Amino acid sequence: MSRLTVDVRKRLHTFTLDVRLEVADEVLVLFGPSGAGKTTILNAVAGLVTPDEGEIRLGDELFFRRRRGERPVNLPPRRRRVGYVFQDYALFPHMTVLENVAYPLWRRPDARRRALELLVNMRIDHLADRYPHEISGGQQQRVAIARALAAQPRVLLLDEPLSALDLAARERLQRDVRRLQRELSLPVIYVTHRLEDAFAVGHRLAVIREGRVEQVGPIEEVFRRPASREAAEIMGIRNLFHARVVEVRPDALVLDWDGLLLEATPQPAPDTSVTAYIRPEDVKVLYPNRPLTDAVRHNCVEGVIVECRQQSAFRELHVRLPNGHEVEVRFPHYTYTPLDLSEGQPVQLSLRKEALVVLSPQGAKQPIGVQETTNSEFRG
Amino acid sequence: MNWHALWLSLRVTALATLVIVAAGLPLAFVLARRSFRGRTALEVLTTLPLVLPPSVTGYYLLRALGRDNPLMRELGLNVLFTWQAAVIAATVVGLPLFVQAARAAIASVDPALENAARTLGSSELEVMWRVTLPLARRGLLAGVLLAAARALGEFGATLMVAGNIPGRTQTLPLAVYDAVLNRQYALANRMVLLMTALALLSLWAVRRLERGR
Repeated sequence: MSRLTVDVRKRLHTFTLDVRLEVADEVLVLFGPSGAGKTTILNAVAGLVTPDEGEIRLGDELFFRRRRGERPVNLPPRRRRVGYVFQDYALFPHMTVLENVAYPLWRRPDARRRALELLVNMRIDHLADRYPHEISGGQQQRVAIARALAAQPRVLLLDEPLSALDLAARERLQRDVRRLQRELSLPVIYVTHRLEDAFAVGHRLAVIREGRVEQVGPIEEVFRRPASREAAEIMGIRNLFHARVVEVRPDALVLDWDGLLLEATPQPAPDTSVTAYIRPEDVKVLYPNRPLTDAVRHNCVEGVIVECRQQSAFRELHVRLPNGHEVEVRFPHYTYTPLDLSEGQPVQLSLRKEALVVLSPQGAKQPIGVQETTNSEFRG
Repeated sequence: MNWHALWLSLRVTALATLVIVAAGLPLAFVLARRSFRGRTALEVLTTLPLVLPPSVTGYYLLRALGRDNPLMRELGLNVLFTWQAAVIAATVVGLPLFVQAARAAIASVDPALENAARTLGSSELEVMWRVTLPLARRGLLAGVLLAAARALGEFGATLMVAGNIPGRTQTLPLAVYDAVLNRQYALANRMVLLMTALALLSLWAVRRLERGR
């Protein structure tokens, strides 16, 4: 099994791409807003874009190197054997599905049979004689994957399609990607700007912003502990706030959020002035006349509901706190039904102590490595 | 019908079209897919015969193929006033039409498809042969037809470098001119009708190719 390492810089129009990444036998998700440079990273690995400087290697084999004092290397795309599923699939419109998949096999006598096997594997063998424009987006994507696999790649790159696939197609794709990664055991890079997709396919997550790796690590860890305000914002984390550290106790870290004192579990705070957040799911609504359980004993505060939204899977409240700020609260529809949670009503909240997270910006500067132990939890 | 002129015209057109495709295809590729210094100059140079009066193009060719060109003298070549000179003239005036059509056709092929082929292990030549050319084929064929029609109808430059020698270098358009000068209107009518029919046929085919994409 070979490990893919990418360490490149390239000046682009609006920012400079500057990334270091390692991908082992796993799915690494590149996550970030569109235009952050995710596709450019894939193109550099595939050899379609030439970085200004740096190195890309797969195990011992150099794909690319341009460094002062070292012999430059730039392997053409056809010699890299990198399977690439493009954003818009890039299927050959003048060939049938079968011909597309057989494209890399044309010199082999058993091309047709091998291509059919791959179609069966992706459960699209019934489409073999159709042309790409005659099949759906999800089917096109599976053809593109089958075609990439036909060339027996050593690395697989998947770029999220621009046009949205329906939920069923996305879930099937996610299952396929994880299954293929397991079966072929090769490094896979999966680009997305959808967090659900990242969770569904990825072992590790790299948050990309303006050409840089904002944070990388096991997916749950990155999501639970964003290293910076930027990483948190990119992941759509709500309820970010600035606070002052007023006391460090063995049992708690006490924060002052513009006059509201909050206790967090003891954790490293980088500075006396910190950014912290609490996920909307972790802000609990309290029943006014029930005894408090341990989980919600801390950080109780009364606020006023300023907005109430019905989402498909949950309800969302915006509550103004005594310090003038608002928090978002999220809970399933079936909870808190006895309470009047309409706009203008007072409400008792608990910002769960265990769920208050202080961001630690130094996390982003840690050397980027593969943490095999944490990795394995998310397998399978 | 002036059968000799018709036969010569067909031979000249066929040969010129072959040369146009052989030389024009690489030119069109370079112009469509590469950016380099002097690209505009190359573009202008290949398009020039399209806008120059054919007699001016013919005059340049006359000087280039004649005895005062040291290269021709060195090679001991003397093509002026032979049917081969007619091929050269037809090639030069037909080339820009093919290059323009071919360049547009190649440029319209999504580069992502070529990149996909590269990641699937194809060399540049293979990418061209299996992806770019098949996808550009309609535009390429339209270009071939336009260039061939232009080569068939070439008059001015041909007159300058190949002359108008009946039975030797007289092509169909030149024969029409001669027939009119000699007041052989019945002969002129037949040749004019034939050439008009060929021109209409090729334009119709070009339209069909362009619409069918």
